[in-house]
Amino acid sequence: MANTGFTIWFTGLSGSGKSTLSEIIEQRLRERGRNVEVLDGDIVRTNLSKGLGFSREDRDTNIKRIAFVCGLLTRNGVICISAAIAPYHEAREWARKEIGNFVEVYVKCPIDVCRQRDVKGLYKLADEGKLKGFTGVSDPYEEPEQPELIVETDKETIEESVSRIFATLEELGYLEPEELHEDDAKVVTDRLAALGYL
Amino acid sequence: MSRRKRVLVIGLDCAPPELVFDQWRDELPNFKRVMDNGVWGKLESCIPAITVPAWSSMMSSKDPGTLGFYGFRNRGDHSYEKHVLANSNSVKTDRVWDVLSRAGKKVITVGVPQTYPPKPVNGIQVGCFLSPSTTNKERPYTYPASAMQEIEATVGEYLVDVPNFRTEDKEYLLRQIYTMTEKRFKLVKKWIAEKDWDFFMFVEMGTDRIHHGLWKYHDPNHHKYEVNPKFNNSIHDYYRYIDSEIGQLLDLVDEDTTVFIVSDHGAKKMDGGICVNEWLIREGYLTLKNQPTSLTSIEKCEIDWEKTKVWGDGGYYARIFLNVEGREPRGIVKPSEVEALRNELKAKFEAIVDPAGENIGTTVYKPEEVYHEQRGVPPDLIVYFGDLLWRSIGTVGHGSIYSFDNDTGPDDCNHAQFGIVIKHDPDAHEGTGGRELTGLQLMDMAPTILEQLGVPVPADMQGKAF
Repeated sequence: MANTGFTIWFTGLSGSGKSTLSEIIEQRLRERGRNVEVLDGDIVRTNLSKGLGFSREDRDTNIKRIAFVCGLLTRNGVICISAAIAPYHEAREWARKEIGNFVEVYVKCPIDVCRQRDVKGLYKLADEGKLKGFTGVSDPYEEPEQPELIVETDKETIEESVSRIFATLEELGYLEPEELHEDDAKVVTDRLAALGYL
Repeated sequence: MSRRKRVLVIGLDCAPPELVFDQWRDELPNFKRVMDNGVWGKLESCIPAITVPAWSSMMSSKDPGTLGFYGFRNRGDHSYEKHVLANSNSVKTDRVWDVLSRAGKKVITVGVPQTYPPKPVNGIQVGCFLSPSTTNKERPYTYPASAMQEIEATVGEYLVDVPNFRTEDKEYLLRQIYTMTEKRFKLVKKWIAEKDWDFFMFVEMGTDRIHHGLWKYHDPNHHKYEVNPKFNNSIHDYYRYIDSEIGQLLDLVDEDTTVFIVSDHGAKKMDGGICVNEWLIREGYLTLKNQPTSLTSIEKCEIDWEKTKVWGDGGYYARIFLNVEGREPRGIVKPSEVEALRNELKAKFEAIVDPAGENIGTTVYKPEEVYHEQRGVPPDLIVYFGDLLWRSIGTVGHGSIYSFDNDTGPDDCNHAQFGIVIKHDPDAHEGTGGRELTGLQLMDMAPTILEQLGVPVPADMQGKAF
């Protein structure tokens, strides 16, 4: 299990918090000595999926390309984090089958909250009709039916979501719980010895 | 408005039935309040009867073998060196709050043993006395981490345990115990009143610490009993104080709340210690390359493994390990001889006498006889010296198999196999004084709690709801 590859497959509306969570999780996993690759939807569209649009077909192609790369890396012990909207159930299920070690995390957040956040100004453009086929506004988002985890970023802090994601990875056996830091272990061992437990 | 059933569990580590149900029953009006119309009785602990694994056994409804840890510190593998502290990371199964969180119930746990590092729950989890620090924000002792600031704002510096427990300064110890307990109850009262919860559980460690620290002043039958007006009633007075705090909690909960008071094991006087490794050396099972001249832990001794068949760990009970060929790196006991050796040791341990030549009544358990499964690295034998009236001393250098001074500092009390449980279900009407139940075991708690909250009991829970 020590270096089992797996993919954390985020899905959720634009502005729900996928990229923020990805960054923190990537950093924590690297601190644990793991090789991590993040495939962020926005970045992928500037290279791997350059030229693709937002039609259903192009969206599916985009997801399949991401899934293909995740599958390759996962097989080689890398932890992949996919942070794309991935709005369609069918494409996500295709990715699940393609990748195997697949942890679907639904980053749930009401569209009104995402609209308020509107970090990239996309909701404004979509609401003004300047951006067509925008998920949640002019294009559908199909909620996952049985994701491994749902994090609700309007109700919990980022830290809570991150903790819950790590707990899920540990429960699923993809990660070992972190060992106590040496200084902490000494504090606790000395305390237990003084209490007569050891 | 529809009725919302809730559960409050008040955990008192080490609270014994003899004090709560017999000796001081009429002096603890709020314990009595919970007993009235409820059910109560002795609660049998697990083997071993010790905080870890007892509380997790209670809250997961699984025996220690199934949980895979047999004490605070466990062998990590069959090497001689690797030991693992059994904190929350060792718990690989659901405990009640995990099941309830998944069912959408709001939960709060405070100080329940083996909840450090805290895990995500649908509510709040405050780490137990295995938390190394209450101030390190990098490694928070609460989930969510933001609860740390909330606790500090409520009680100042929160104490997960009594600092400097092994002190001869009993006044200091008492002050520390009260300070810790007052802070915990202050926090619990605030959160009971202000937070949204379906399940609230906290464990007070002060009961255990005061027993270990001051039992010799409490029990006239203790071999070190001392008349000392300052301390003779200290345990009694502390229970009266706990009772008053419980009274305040009861005033805060509504009529739809089921209240439990529960302990993980009981308490009894400690007559002395059996130096288990000294005994093994004397009987020819354990050989050291150099005999230490001062008290030395067995881990620091140079063991001659080629001439050693058995070694043991100390604590309130003994864990005995065989040096088995093909299992341990330098094992010499042939696998075919293991059973005969275990039986030989069992017979010899059970024949141990005190310095006056009286048999002390030792009981030896084979793990496979007391556990459904044996995960992790179980000891080959578990020994209760003198039915826990004697503790196990693992250090070497005593020059005797007996010790009447604990090797880790003053300690007057050992654990007893039976703790307490009281359940006050507002829907039950058992009359004044309640109804006594018999045959209850730690693992019965988790299914009982789930049943109270209308949540299905997982099929792998080993206890039965009462």
